[in-house]
Amino acid sequence: MTRTERKNLWLGLLFISPWIIGFLAFLVYPIWYTVELSFTRYGGFGVPEWIGLDNYTRMLDDRLFWISVWNTVYYTGLAVPIGVVVAMVLALAMNQPLPEIPIYRAILFLPSVLPLFAVSFIFLTLLDPNDGIVNELLRRIGFSPPNWFGDPDYAKIGIVAIAQFGAGQIALVFLAGLKGIPQHLYEAAMLDGAGPIRRFFSVTLPLLTPIILYDIILGISLGMQVFTQSYIITQGGPAQSTTFYVYYLYDNAFTYGGQMGYASAMAVVLFLFTFIIAGLVFVTSKRWVHYDLS
Amino acid sequence: MSSRINRRTLVKGTAGAAGAAALATSSVYHVPNVIARQEKTPVVFWTGFTAQALESLQRITDEFNAQSEDVEVTLEQIPPGEVTDSARLITAVRGGTGPDVYMLDRFIVAERAATGLLTDLTSLLEDNGADPSLSDHIGFAAAEATYEGAPYALPFDTDVRALYYNRTLLSEAGADLEAFDAANGPMTWDALKEAANMANIDNESGDNFAQMGYVPYFNQAWHYTYGFSWGADFFNEEGCEVTPNSPEMIEAMQWVYDYCAELDPSKVQAFIQAARVPGAPPQESPWTQNRLATMVTGDWQIAQNREYAPDMDYGITYLPVPEDGMESATWAGGWSLVIPEGAQQPEAATQFLMFACGEPGQRIYTEDTAHIPTLLALQEDASLFEERHTFFVNELLPTTNNRPPLPVGARYWDDMTAAFERIWLNEEEPEPALNNAKDATMTLLTPFCPIG
Repeated sequence: MTRTERKNLWLGLLFISPWIIGFLAFLVYPIWYTVELSFTRYGGFGVPEWIGLDNYTRMLDDRLFWISVWNTVYYTGLAVPIGVVVAMVLALAMNQPLPEIPIYRAILFLPSVLPLFAVSFIFLTLLDPNDGIVNELLRRIGFSPPNWFGDPDYAKIGIVAIAQFGAGQIALVFLAGLKGIPQHLYEAAMLDGAGPIRRFFSVTLPLLTPIILYDIILGISLGMQVFTQSYIITQGGPAQSTTFYVYYLYDNAFTYGGQMGYASAMAVVLFLFTFIIAGLVFVTSKRWVHYDLS
Repeated sequence: MSSRINRRTLVKGTAGAAGAAALATSSVYHVPNVIARQEKTPVVFWTGFTAQALESLQRITDEFNAQSEDVEVTLEQIPPGEVTDSARLITAVRGGTGPDVYMLDRFIVAERAATGLLTDLTSLLEDNGADPSLSDHIGFAAAEATYEGAPYALPFDTDVRALYYNRTLLSEAGADLEAFDAANGPMTWDALKEAANMANIDNESGDNFAQMGYVPYFNQAWHYTYGFSWGADFFNEEGCEVTPNSPEMIEAMQWVYDYCAELDPSKVQAFIQAARVPGAPPQESPWTQNRLATMVTGDWQIAQNREYAPDMDYGITYLPVPEDGMESATWAGGWSLVIPEGAQQPEAATQFLMFACGEPGQRIYTEDTAHIPTLLALQEDASLFEERHTFFVNELLPTTNNRPPLPVGARYWDDMTAAFERIWLNEEEPEPALNNAKDATMTLLTPFCPIG
């Protein structure tokens, strides 16, 4: 490395140092501290007491821990694929060649800018078992509507529905992907006699697979951390059916005395679990993701 | 040329504007604060109370500020949530931005004290000439505010639960109002069920209730309510174990299970869903809306009725009993004021604690909200209680039960609530649900044993 190169390196580091400091102070240190706390009994105050792997072994016998794992996996397993479909449908709608399309795009994107807690309150009203508009519509078309957030069989589905309010964000990425598909591929397909459905499945969908992969990995990561809706609407109920992993982690950290160490251990396990699942998706993606047009 | 703005001018102008803004901000906001600090010590007081109770706390704060020469208290409302959720307090205290005074449900004082979140008040009270044994408060309230022999809170109020009934709705349904008269003693739970079911009315579509006679888990109809009524104990001090699965408790929960099973649990839940969201306004309650004929709740409902349903014709009686001839049992709870660890002004905060939890504060709160003072001297002051309220103070308070003050009180409450929910939703039979609640709480309790 020449003197100029070295100088440039230091200068470069100096310029990005605010980010490096922020990264170390607000990300690396808290993660390290969480790992450290996960081996202790600690209430948030005083000196943590070292208890080795006790917090981790306790999870094996903790019934509520496993309920929260099941709830979270169930939610993620449902929310992620539905999210992909909803985002893609939105993107296709946003991609129509109409003069007023910018207005439609804004309308379709609008729900995504609402904060999750506000959306939760909106859904509380929409899905109200007595006066909610959704149940009223279901009644009118002859269905017996469920008590969405009061019935353990439906509460998670209600929360999956809320998650779709945020689909506009990912729909924009899909839209960018759609715009990137060369028009001549569609023209060639049409010349070969492909109809709109065939064109979608043989041209559009394969070329969107990198974005679908991105959406799935992002969706899994966010799905595993689902919290706000359950905190505001159902408080983990009914019958613990919406006690999601992070909700239980939060309870351990801030509701139950002396459980900050256990909550930290849960955070470490969540990190590893999400990492492994995302890794598995990534490994399988080689079979179904198409990165080029060759 | 002169109108062109080059980069240097822009930078100079921006810097000048920023400087002027900073100067203006400091002159507007900072100077008066310095003066205020010189005059009075600022104390920040956090509460999650809403509606009437919040207004009363504001009145207590104003009265204190008016009479104090050296302390100025600011009341700040934090978003209401589950009473056991102390996230906002814990994170603020850890970040060094916690309040000086915090309103805490008294049954979790021991739990929060055990983690080191609260300040031991012994020396602060002694320095102000107060008795740290809290002997001027009713016994159970003092016990709840104490952890390992030291006071960590001052009791603020207490309350007792009873059965409220809406005379109009019950008469319309054809129920016998005599059975509800407190002068005739307590009725049985089965008699309540029979009368209440007469008042159930379906809505137009027939899939939900428009009106109900009784919802066995609404408002203060908690697990503890039924447990005490059936004579259950919730903690065995000798064995250092929680006992939510005692035979009495299982029998009590079976009554709730059967009640809901007969009516369709989901339908019952739909009826009161909107009113069960934490912080839901009193107007959302089906009781206030004249759609619920009977309800277990506390004395504070007298004040709420006064404000939100002044025309309702209602009565108050003992909580029902499992069998004729048994003594009616009820339970009391209440709130307390604490000084979190790391408070900026513990001495000034103590002065406010002693005012709010002393005679002046408790008198105001009793008048405004129809709760019961914990101070024994005020309980004897008949002028504080209207006729209905007297029933709580004279008939119910002397024999009331209270929840065991445990260092895992919040977890015990949550585990029993989860079991209770599974029971009223008919998701699980009472015995296995309560066994699970016990196992879950014991995992956390064992490291604290022995307790006593």
